[in-house]
Amino acid sequence: MTTHSSPDGAASLALSFEHVTKWYGSVCALLDVSFRVDREVVGLVGRNGVGKSTLMKLAVGLLSPSQGEISIGRHVAGSREARAAVGFCPDFDRLYEPLSGVDFVAWMLRYHGFGARAARARAEEVLVDLGLEENMRRPIREYSKGMRQRVRLGQALAHRPRFVLLDEPMTGLDPLARADLSERIRALPSQGVGVLVSSHVLHELEAVVDRVVLVHQGRLLAEGRVGELRDKLPERPHRLRITGARLRELAADLSSWSEVRGVAFTEEGLEVSLSGEVSFYDRLTALAAERQGGIEELVPLDDDLAAVFGYFVE
Amino acid sequence: MSDPVVSQSLGISNSFSALWIAARQTIYLLAFRRTLWWSLPGCAALFVLTFVAGLRAPDPVSGRSVYCVFAWWGLSTVVVPWVAAFLGVQSVHGELEDRTSQYLFLRPVFRAPLLLGKWLAVSLLAVLVTVAAVLALFAGIAQHLDRWPDGVEWELVTAFGWSMGLGALAYSAIAVLFGAMFRRPLAWSAFFIVGVQIVVANLPVSAGLRQLTVTDPLRRVVLDWIEPDGRLARIMWPSETVISVDDIGSPVINLAIITVVCLALACWKYSSAEYESRSRD
Repeated sequence: MTTHSSPDGAASLALSFEHVTKWYGSVCALLDVSFRVDREVVGLVGRNGVGKSTLMKLAVGLLSPSQGEISIGRHVAGSREARAAVGFCPDFDRLYEPLSGVDFVAWMLRYHGFGARAARARAEEVLVDLGLEENMRRPIREYSKGMRQRVRLGQALAHRPRFVLLDEPMTGLDPLARADLSERIRALPSQGVGVLVSSHVLHELEAVVDRVVLVHQGRLLAEGRVGELRDKLPERPHRLRITGARLRELAADLSSWSEVRGVAFTEEGLEVSLSGEVSFYDRLTALAAERQGGIEELVPLDDDLAAVFGYFVE
Repeated sequence: MSDPVVSQSLGISNSFSALWIAARQTIYLLAFRRTLWWSLPGCAALFVLTFVAGLRAPDPVSGRSVYCVFAWWGLSTVVVPWVAAFLGVQSVHGELEDRTSQYLFLRPVFRAPLLLGKWLAVSLLAVLVTVAAVLALFAGIAQHLDRWPDGVEWELVTAFGWSMGLGALAYSAIAVLFGAMFRRPLAWSAFFIVGVQIVVANLPVSAGLRQLTVTDPLRRVVLDWIEPDGRLARIMWPSETVISVDDIGSPVINLAIITVVCLALACWKYSSAEYESRSRD
């Protein structure tokens, strides 16, 4: 058992990955991954098969790291104390089919020390909250995909964990259910719950997360807020939208600049593809001053998670 | 961690209650499996079997002999091991294969009580099916009162019920072990039940290897109870001419050792394995 200390004691509330490496035989699934999750929503971003699920299973004790350490508060991941503090919603769609949703969640709660009545009451409370009030007593085998996902989420939340790990939670949900789930995830930190959520559908995560951790081929590429990560890439090619007056003149000027790869008019304004040199912004500032108000707005078009992830992977 | 929820969970979720909850849940889940319900027509078939045998057996053959032969060869070599194997493998390996076991592994309890709970549930159900089969076989031959010149011997039911019940416990432990250890536990069960036992359990008395089987100690328990005459003994134990248990120890202790060792190995494997990542064969 390891104790993480900090002057304000905040470290004891974190889910912390310290130089975690995981080998499956001769295959390295994760290599020297370090980051932490506090009471916030952290998105785990990466393509399929890059180690996102492995990271989550390590955190909940289903797997053990080959090297490094994962801790939840003061407890090593996988210990009984750590497991009591974590809820996990796996990505696979397997449940105890003959059981009803409420029976399944209540059964899982029994292992957390809930008595039979308390477990059932809490299971009903959680499933009603997740919108399964009408169906929670039907056998799970009769559930739709969305209902099954809610049951999986219910078993992860029912014991009031401090951290919830959600592996591809949006899979199989219709747009309304996705929006609903996004809201629920956003609300968890205000209830004192830290969230680590993975997805390969980046735009879904973007609306939900405070920070992202980018994983590729078992390595942590970067972590931070999406905007911060984009700022780390000033030299990378990206696109801008410029609005304002006299855009045709501006386009003619910009097209001769070495930093500009191309310009195009759209309904919203002038789209400029940049090769990445920082000098473009100095020149544009000078041009704007010269024209006195010709440029109204600069909108970066590549600040979204997909673009950031794409750049890092490149 | 000082969180009251966490502390409460760990305080109440002790290993014993986890074992008990796992046992109840396993019984509940197995009740939905067809394997268990096939035992009902199976018992009816066993009744018909001994009833027909009572009609067709030559006159000098007693009801006792008919029952002992059918009960021994039918139950000990087919019904008990296969019922235990199917139930044990389904409850352990089935959950590992479809990954529902992961929901259990996430809970703040040790894995060993979970596995022991499953074994307890499988054992209870296997013993129930075994006792039903013992009664069904006996009921079939007990209809023929002319084959029981000294009256119907009800103590045979006790003898076979007790011994086959012990066998069900041991076979359940083996099935649970195979379920936790192998990717193809039913194939391994077939290899053990049919392959290993037929060969090893029929070796001469001096072969200590027989103590590694369930059939051999089980047969010695049965023979101890029913004290058969020479002819019946030869039918039940073709490789033996002299029935003696002194040479290879107490059969009940042998069965207990097999059961405990299998459960210990199964608990170790179930607790330490990363079922996500490793090949189990």
